[in-house]
Amino acid sequence: MSDVFPKWTNRLPRQIIIGALLAGTAVTAGVTYYFTPKYTRVGYEPAQPVAFPHSVHVKQLGLDCRYCHNGVEKSWYSNIPATSLCMNCHNQVLKDDPRLAAVRESAASGQPIEWVQIHKMPDYVYFNHSVHVNRGVSCVECHGQINDMEEVFHAKPLSMSYCLDCHRHPALRLRPLDKITDLDWKPTDDPRALADTQLKLGGGIVHDWKVQSLQNCSTCHR
Amino acid sequence: MKTIPPQCPEPETGPKYWRSLDQLAGTPEFRQWVEREFPAGASEWTDPFSRRNFVKIMSASFLLAGLGATGCRRPVEKIYPFAKMPENYVHGVPQYFATAFPSRRAALPLVVKSSEGRPIKIEGNPDLPGSNGGTDPLAQASLLSLYDPDRAMRCTRNGNGENKTEALDFLSGLSKTAGDGGGLAFLLEQSDSPSRARLQQAIAAKFPAARWHVYEPVALDAGRAAASLAYNRPVEPCYKLDQARVIVSLDCDFIGSEANAYANIRDFAKGRALNGADDAMSRLYAVESLFTLTGLNADHRLRVPPSLVVAVLAKLALHVLGATDMDAKLAELAAPAQAHEAWVAACAKDLAANRGKSLVLGGYRLPLAAHLLVVAINEALGAVGQTVEFHPTAAAKEGTLAELAAALQVGQVQTLVILGGNPAYNAPVDLNWPQAQAKAKTVVRLGYYHDETSWDAATHAATQWDLPMAHYLESWGDARTADGAVVPIQPLIEPLFGGITELEVLALIGGLTPGSPYEIVRETFRGLGGDEENHWRKFLHDGFLAGSAAAAVPVRHDPAELKRAIAGLKAAPAATVASLDVVFYRDAKMDDGRHNNNGWLQELPDPITKLTWDNAVLLSPATAKELGVFTQERLTGQNQKFFNPKVEVTLNGRKITGPVWIQPGMADHTVGLALGYGRDKTGRVGAGTGFNAYKLRASDALYYAWGASVKDTGDKSYELATTQSHWSMEGRPVVREASLEQYRKNPKFAQRMKPADPEDTHGKPIVEPLYPNPLDSAKANGLHQWGMSIDLNRCVGCSACMIACQSENNVPIVGKEMVGKSREMHWIRLDRYYAGPVEDPQAVAQPMLCQHCEAAPCESVCPVNATSHDDEGLNVMTYNRCVGTRYCSNNCPYKVRRFNFFDYNRHPLNHQFLYRSPLVAKTDGEWELLRWLKNPDKGNLPEDEWQLAKLVKNPDVSVRMRGVMEKCSFCLQRIEQAKIAAKVKARDTDHIRLTEKEGTVPKTACQQACPAEAIVFGDMADPASSVSKAKEQERTYKVLEFLLTKPRTTYLARVRNPNPAMPDSKEHPLPYTSEEFNKGPFSPGEGAEEPAEKGAL
Repeated sequence: MSDVFPKWTNRLPRQIIIGALLAGTAVTAGVTYYFTPKYTRVGYEPAQPVAFPHSVHVKQLGLDCRYCHNGVEKSWYSNIPATSLCMNCHNQVLKDDPRLAAVRESAASGQPIEWVQIHKMPDYVYFNHSVHVNRGVSCVECHGQINDMEEVFHAKPLSMSYCLDCHRHPALRLRPLDKITDLDWKPTDDPRALADTQLKLGGGIVHDWKVQSLQNCSTCHR
Repeated sequence: MKTIPPQCPEPETGPKYWRSLDQLAGTPEFRQWVEREFPAGASEWTDPFSRRNFVKIMSASFLLAGLGATGCRRPVEKIYPFAKMPENYVHGVPQYFATAFPSRRAALPLVVKSSEGRPIKIEGNPDLPGSNGGTDPLAQASLLSLYDPDRAMRCTRNGNGENKTEALDFLSGLSKTAGDGGGLAFLLEQSDSPSRARLQQAIAAKFPAARWHVYEPVALDAGRAAASLAYNRPVEPCYKLDQARVIVSLDCDFIGSEANAYANIRDFAKGRALNGADDAMSRLYAVESLFTLTGLNADHRLRVPPSLVVAVLAKLALHVLGATDMDAKLAELAAPAQAHEAWVAACAKDLAANRGKSLVLGGYRLPLAAHLLVVAINEALGAVGQTVEFHPTAAAKEGTLAELAAALQVGQVQTLVILGGNPAYNAPVDLNWPQAQAKAKTVVRLGYYHDETSWDAATHAATQWDLPMAHYLESWGDARTADGAVVPIQPLIEPLFGGITELEVLALIGGLTPGSPYEIVRETFRGLGGDEENHWRKFLHDGFLAGSAAAAVPVRHDPAELKRAIAGLKAAPAATVASLDVVFYRDAKMDDGRHNNNGWLQELPDPITKLTWDNAVLLSPATAKELGVFTQERLTGQNQKFFNPKVEVTLNGRKITGPVWIQPGMADHTVGLALGYGRDKTGRVGAGTGFNAYKLRASDALYYAWGASVKDTGDKSYELATTQSHWSMEGRPVVREASLEQYRKNPKFAQRMKPADPEDTHGKPIVEPLYPNPLDSAKANGLHQWGMSIDLNRCVGCSACMIACQSENNVPIVGKEMVGKSREMHWIRLDRYYAGPVEDPQAVAQPMLCQHCEAAPCESVCPVNATSHDDEGLNVMTYNRCVGTRYCSNNCPYKVRRFNFFDYNRHPLNHQFLYRSPLVAKTDGEWELLRWLKNPDKGNLPEDEWQLAKLVKNPDVSVRMRGVMEKCSFCLQRIEQAKIAAKVKARDTDHIRLTEKEGTVPKTACQQACPAEAIVFGDMADPASSVSKAKEQERTYKVLEFLLTKPRTTYLARVRNPNPAMPDSKEHPLPYTSEEFNKGPFSPGEGAEEPAEKGAL
């Protein structure tokens, strides 16, 4: 039979098995990395029609998130402000700045500014902003350090497992209500005690406010 | 091995129900059909388009989709914020506006939910005095008509599109050329709008010679006309059904098709409600020819052909009125009803015994003389001021359609203004309306659709303007409720297609200022509620003008008119098989045809016949046998569809053809014909539905006609889509029922109807559920435990819940063919069971929806965990996970799960293209596959349907796609929103629990729509909640509880209140159901084989 199957074929099954294993591992690893929101979404930073720097408005000027996103405490939706709101200040400040041409045009014509959506939930997910920001979850948990961003980018994966991480361990993220929009807030300045302090504080909040952080399918899918 | 359902082992008492003729007959076809568990087509693919073919095409399309590479990348989406923020608007928070659904003389006050500027849900206004927020199916479904792509969308002159301004200029030009109004005629619909009355007055002052005519094909105000004559002043009767202990209905379907039915149901249910064995409940006697909802709810029902209804009434009058000078005439009239002497005598005795607490009602089909007699009887019974009040109203001054037709024929009318209505379709045939209309030189027509009355080259006038009418949700207006309260009609949206309101047209023709509809209504309000702006604002906010409801006026009965009318009344000829009586009736869904293009209503099963998408020639079983058209021998086709023979109905030489529907409990020798179908010109939805019964209807016999004949055409191929025999419950005590006497003797009768515990194969009783109950442990985490209780004693079967659910939960319509295959998608359905002899049965209605079993059989068979429980006891569906195995639906004992066999939301409204392939078909001139690649959401919907279809959707509920199972969620979105609202309010406190005391517990859509308050939903974990209290009642039972599924939905058993003195009570003291059940344990299907294996569940 050696005419038909030369000796090297004896090694073939082993090579095939090892090769298949390696290929399988590579595919699995590839999919888990490249096909998940962690890769596909994080870092998404489209060019916006108006180069609005959050860092300037929040960090330098100290605007609260809710000055512009004023529906966030009442609605499931955190609104992009109307042009008229921009013009509250910008009819005085930087009145003729070319960077604000699109804003002035919109205010004059009544046509909306076409912002590009960055953070987007699938249609079958019913995420509600109001219930999170009113119950101790800060903007920073899902949107990252927006206050440091020159242009907004997708900072967190916002995948289902990302949601569940927090819903399973709410104590790690909860904070007092007056610190919700303080994106730089830390439970303590001592970096070594950070985790413990947060756990203690968050645990207290979970208990005192009866935070539910439900994990039922019906919590988000309807 | 085939599983045979366990029989109920010897219940002590309990009913046996049959649901259709086929079931009663136990035909082999039916047995086979039932034992299949699912009707053919509901569980498998049997269409000529084979699965193999389908997969081939689909894989090809996926390949193409992959090439397009649209599937891999997230599409870039834009956000368009306002340029200028509107006041008091937060995106994502719905707004609510008070308005009203105009319907003849009784508007239904509403609160309409608007989401992002789109009206998306209609609810009743609970703030009106006496209101409970209930509505009716027509008001609920009127929302869909707003987004109807077949609406009239442009102004036309002789069929050619014209500019709206030109049309308006023409109208205002009329005001200048009309002179004193000679030759100008208005044809209006009935309405109690104060603004319209004011404009009419102003125009009449300006054009004194103008003619005013009002036409309603089905006028529901015969009682008003009679009362006005009998009391010598214009009055409107207002019934207080909750005060009545004994109610007699003479062909008066006050629960179904009469005016103000939703309020009647509310009051009737109040009088029927039982909270304990000591409570009193009212008794209802119904004399009727058709089987109606009133008959279904009656304790005693007398079926007589229409020719005998007046005879029975005369007999009743003889008993109640005592000796009068009309005796001889009444006796003559009553003679044909001699056979019912005992029935009427006992009924009259009961009425007299409850003097001041009894009420007699006459239906809209009765002649005026009969209504005058009803008024006299109520007078004699002391009902006036007790169970019926009379409110002052405006006297009707307008002429009739017949007068207008006559004036047109002799050329007295040059300019005819038709505001609403559709006389070319529904005018009596002898008026020859289309031809009469053509005699006018100029016709101005305001209509919601392009329909029969719109311009038609063949018959119509020299010049005809057709103007698109605005929907009431787009219009400013006002109206009155049945008790006279003024309610606003305010727009929630700009007219989608530039529609014009009736008030605008009148103001333009009259050259009146102000001319804008808002200003007109505002001006009228100044006269009603004063000039202050805050009064007006309160009026709009509350949705009614406080104190505007009419107060009862003292009335003095004058029998003169009655005597005159009675003297002129002739006894109708007796009905025989050769000379049949005909009843033309207002359809429960189409009304007089105005809702013909509304898909929700077309697909809503008729409350009694359970027919969808069609009307039929209703015949009693005996009459059908005599005529040789008994449909028991239905042809059984390829898909086991049921086919019905078509017959030709001839009346005075006029003929129509339609399919037969055998209606148990109909009067013999009577033909029932529903109006509102068979339209020549209607939209995509209504096209091809039913036949037009108006073609038989003449002015002298609008509702009852004698001397019809029915002939078999030999054509047995007509398929009627019905939900009647679907999901037969095989006689288990699903609806439990007792007489009031039984109930008082044994308050826990419903629980005693529970079968003994089933046994396993070793003869041991099964006490543990077969299915795991993960909720037992999860319950601990749940803050609330949701449950529902449905009181069958309150439920009348009106079906408002079905449309409310459809609207709230984005339930699609599927079309007639799909309903024929049992693929309708309703999350809540109303089962109707019959019991007793097929000729004269009793019937019961039962709402059936997901029971939210704690030990849910559906969950344990789902391979992908798409259906599961949450902590609060809801059986939830996660649509994304569902892969469409349909195991859950197979394992659901209640058959309440619905599967999306097609992308019903993306299918064109005309369903003949259901099976066409996207590879070969074009829509709007574009290949469907290409369209699908560009926008998968749109599918193959034509552009206009797509643009409008998406507007009606509730954004809080996922729109399900093909291949996904769905079912009732207890309005999960409302629960979650209520919970979120409580948490937002609680902020850093722990007060997050929803309580009824604070009014934070949400209502489900069905509960909110129910005028009878039959549905109670709430938190079972709170012992003080109304649902906990309802579940504590003795009448509580669970459907199929021996399966140990532990349903969260429970029912309260029905109680009938028969009069022991009645002749039928002497023979049958118990409800037919109990009686039949007591005869012995039920065995599935007479003549069927015995179950091979006991308890093989």
